[in-house]
Amino acid sequence: MIDINATLIAQILNFLILAGLLRAVAYKPVVRMLKARQDRIQESLDKADADAEEADKLLAEYKAKLAEANVKAENIVLMAEKRASEEREAKRAEVKREIEQMRKAAKAEIDREREHAVQQLRTEMITLSMAAAGKIVAKNMDKSENEALISDFVKELDKDKIGDLPC
Amino acid sequence: MHEIGVREVVHFAGLTFNWETLCMTWLTMAIVILISWLATRNLKMIPTGWQNVVEILVSWLDTQVSSMMGKRGLFLAPFIMSLFMFLLTSNWLGLIPTLSSPTNDLNTTLGLALLVVVLVHVLGVHMKGGHYIAHFFKPTPVFVIINAIEEIAKPITLSFRLFGNILAGEILIIILLKLMPIWMPIPSVIWLAFSIFVGGVQAFIFTMLSMAYLANAVKEDEEES
Repeated sequence: MIDINATLIAQILNFLILAGLLRAVAYKPVVRMLKARQDRIQESLDKADADAEEADKLLAEYKAKLAEANVKAENIVLMAEKRASEEREAKRAEVKREIEQMRKAAKAEIDREREHAVQQLRTEMITLSMAAAGKIVAKNMDKSENEALISDFVKELDKDKIGDLPC
Repeated sequence: MHEIGVREVVHFAGLTFNWETLCMTWLTMAIVILISWLATRNLKMIPTGWQNVVEILVSWLDTQVSSMMGKRGLFLAPFIMSLFMFLLTSNWLGLIPTLSSPTNDLNTTLGLALLVVVLVHVLGVHMKGGHYIAHFFKPTPVFVIINAIEEIAKPITLSFRLFGNILAGEILIIILLKLMPIWMPIPSVIWLAFSIFVGGVQAFIFTMLSMAYLANAVKEDEEES
């Protein structure tokens, strides 16, 4: 039952062959696959990390850009408002000046007209005075009558007086 | 089944071989390789079904080996794996009627045990050099006798434990069948079930002890606790 013979050597060889075959057929592929998967997962994780970092950076960049743009827009609005108000002011001043000018022109016109009218009146008055004088001379009245006539005339004049013109 | 303990013998090139043991060993090898090949035939990056089981087993084994032997022992993982699969298949093969276990032959178990022990010493000397030889003479040189007995005892206990368990199991199967009338199969069935358990346990023990011996030789000194 317990007889040791050359089978012992054969069994050792058999087992060594089996171990070698199993290593080649089963163990190596599995280990290689596990390693490949580990590498793959590591790679994916690294990539995901890198992507997240990149995304964060981009986000920060965009935020900064947005803030910058906001500031810029605000500036633009402010500037536009300022310019608009300036323009408005300038326009208003111009309009004021124009009005002033027009008023001055109108006043000058009125003055001139009045001057003209006064001149005309004076001329008329002289003509009338001459006519009155002529009448007086023609009538050859006495002194009292003459005075009454002149005062009437002057009264007449006063009644039709325009403004406080000296006449 | 032929007479218990009598072995069919062939002579080849002046050497004697136990023919049945050899045939059963080859059958075992074929089964083991077939199973491994089927299990690892179609590996994919995304594991499904059976591949998960295989990967769990392999990574469990790798963890065991590297925790027991350190990183340097990792190249022994396929050896350990082969040992366990071979022994398990061998032990269970004998439970199939008309077949017998290769491990019911002392030649097989002693061969494997010697292989393990020789591997232990070769690796020990190769990896640790003089330090490995020196540890036989510790704590005092007198201990070399006890250490030598221990080293000799290793393959003997390893091989006889397995051999005895498996042979006893197979003998008892035959005896129970002969002892009991054919309409009373219960004891024989129970013993068969127990033999399945024993086969697994013995394969496990043999593998674990081999791992422990190998770890002793391979493990780095600073890793020893």
